[in-house]
Amino acid sequence: MAKLLDKQRYKCALGAMQSVQAIERALPILHSGPGCAQKLSEQIGSSGYFSPNIFPCTSINEKDVVFGGVKKLNSTIEKSLKVIDADMYVVLTGCIPEIVGDDSGEVVSRFNEEEKPVLYVPTAGFKGNNYKGHEQVVDSIIDQFLEKSEEKEAGLVNIWADVPYQDLFWLGNLRELENLVRELGLKPNTIFGYKRGIENIKKIPKAQFNLLVSPWVGLSNVKKMERKLGIPYLHLKTLPIGATETSKFLREVGEFAGVSKEKIESVIKENEDYYYYLIERYADLFLENRVINKQFSVIADAQYSLGITKFLVNDIGLIPAKQFVVDDTPKKYRKEIEEEFKNLNYGIKAEASFETDGYLIHEEIKKHDYHGYPLILGGYYEKELTEDLKGNFLNISWPVQDKVVFDSSYVGYRGGIKLLEDIYTVAVQRFN
Amino acid sequence: MSELRQIAIYGKGGIGKSTTTQNLTAGLVEHGKKVMVVGCDPKADSTRLLLGGLAQKTVLDTIREEGEDIELDRILKEGYGGTRCVESGGPEPGVGCAGRGIITSINMLENLGAYTDDLDYVFYDVLGDVVCGGFAMPIREGKAKEIYIVASGEMMALYAANNISKGIKRYARTGGVRLGGIICNSRNVDRELDLLRAFAKELGTKLLYFVPRDNIVQHAEINKKTVIEYKPDSNQAQEYRNLAQAVIENKDFVIPTPMTQERLEEILMEYGMMELADDYKI
Repeated sequence: MAKLLDKQRYKCALGAMQSVQAIERALPILHSGPGCAQKLSEQIGSSGYFSPNIFPCTSINEKDVVFGGVKKLNSTIEKSLKVIDADMYVVLTGCIPEIVGDDSGEVVSRFNEEEKPVLYVPTAGFKGNNYKGHEQVVDSIIDQFLEKSEEKEAGLVNIWADVPYQDLFWLGNLRELENLVRELGLKPNTIFGYKRGIENIKKIPKAQFNLLVSPWVGLSNVKKMERKLGIPYLHLKTLPIGATETSKFLREVGEFAGVSKEKIESVIKENEDYYYYLIERYADLFLENRVINKQFSVIADAQYSLGITKFLVNDIGLIPAKQFVVDDTPKKYRKEIEEEFKNLNYGIKAEASFETDGYLIHEEIKKHDYHGYPLILGGYYEKELTEDLKGNFLNISWPVQDKVVFDSSYVGYRGGIKLLEDIYTVAVQRFN
Repeated sequence: MSELRQIAIYGKGGIGKSTTTQNLTAGLVEHGKKVMVVGCDPKADSTRLLLGGLAQKTVLDTIREEGEDIELDRILKEGYGGTRCVESGGPEPGVGCAGRGIITSINMLENLGAYTDDLDYVFYDVLGDVVCGGFAMPIREGKAKEIYIVASGEMMALYAANNISKGIKRYARTGGVRLGGIICNSRNVDRELDLLRAFAKELGTKLLYFVPRDNIVQHAEINKKTVIEYKPDSNQAQEYRNLAQAVIENKDFVIPTPMTQERLEEILMEYGMMELADDYKI
């Protein structure tokens, strides 16, 4: 059935260009119309080497549709290799060449002998959204660049989480996941962000295991790596925010990696001590503001919707109203994710709705009795709605327009504290 | 002056669409009609008999080499009896989108003013099957309003004709396109005439004309001529004149009623086609 797009919160698969841009010194080469490329460029944080706003694009037109765009693609790759000094060149295709039937894979394979890797990622918009596109980028790296390694590095753990740039906090989140894994005495390996890049990509096959921290994004990737590269994986659906989930995270990762119980518990104790010291000190704040924030809704992709719900229920003792998952989660994953929403402390269960229609989401929120000021954590689309409802609003998911995030994070013990700071900053502003 | 009739000719690949269209055109020219033939096939062989060879540079080749800023006479050549001949052309086999190519070239013909008021007929000779939206271009957007399907008594030709009718039915709902009939280009199959009549009736149309098989057609083709030009006194030339007359006089335009696969096979069975298939020996 045709659906009305209302407040859509993702882009098409070609949006995976951002995942490429998150790999240091990797260059996206777009085989698409100029409009696709223009629409996908982000405004903020777009300066520096390889500005996300400047990249090679075949800019195909009607002539290329009729006669095929492969010649243009060939010359665009050739010239990119000559002119731009990158570590990795990633060709991403839009809808048009995929419909017309350009054999882009073949064109890219002509550059197999080049000194630098050139990869092909089919990201036609009709294949799905940028969450799927992100998976496609990782898939292409696995298929076209990585080889199985007999040599393994003890303690090396590849960490995979949600989608760079689509998740505003991606950089900080990955760094914090690395920190947690490092505290267990393991060696984290990630490919996105500052000083990671191609050297870390090359290390992937040597890892002891893959750690996937996401409700569903990337699951197909780690499964593929298990098959092709013989790397086992640990899949943790919940993004660990605050003490309850982070301690659980450390126990599960530590146990999987064979870290001693003693070591795991000592890491947890040290972190929890400080965490609860802070919570204790600010108990007065929670008490004084007890009339607000009784019930909450998160409107975000599966990772934040689930992660924040667990944090606010398990650590802060708030009651969940309906939670909204807006990333168009593939149907096959939904049941398991729904179960996770019911797996909360104190026997509390949250109802999760997989809904991409912003209008319907807003109608449901308006209908619900939040027993006080609603606490809404969502995209910028929810700002006005929350104002109308006289609630407290925090912009945590795409689109984000009322805050600037460099590398802060909501992950781990520190991330939980940071989220509390943000929520109560909004709360205290109500009266001051 | 009469109203311009725009006619699209469809049919299974190799059935003789181009041969029939060009001979029909020659017949219309003898009646004093002004005709334009637009080849809508990447093979670009729809006007060979009218032009006396593959003398035509296609619209798409011209666009590819010279850009879009071209004059009409670069892509439109005059052939037998003053017919205007255009070949849409297409990309190299296996690359690009030939369907979009046809859309591009017909739009270009319009922009360059090829559809002049003095024309009586425009024929679109479209490749074998309507494989995608682009090949339906001649019957979209109110261009060709009349369609003739070239078929024979062979099973696959009838399958294709039935399929093409599905496409016509689709566009007939929104546009004014109608099926004018079936033209049989005979392959000397047993009971061919009866079969074609029954098939046409089932489609809700009629067998417009039965063109018998005659080797003179092949001789004319080798000489790069229509039969009417090559041997004006031959029986076959008269057949094509009759076909032209039938087209001129035709007033029966219908929305076809394509049949199910089962029904089509029933008809074939009834006229002995399936039994013949059983006799086939290697």
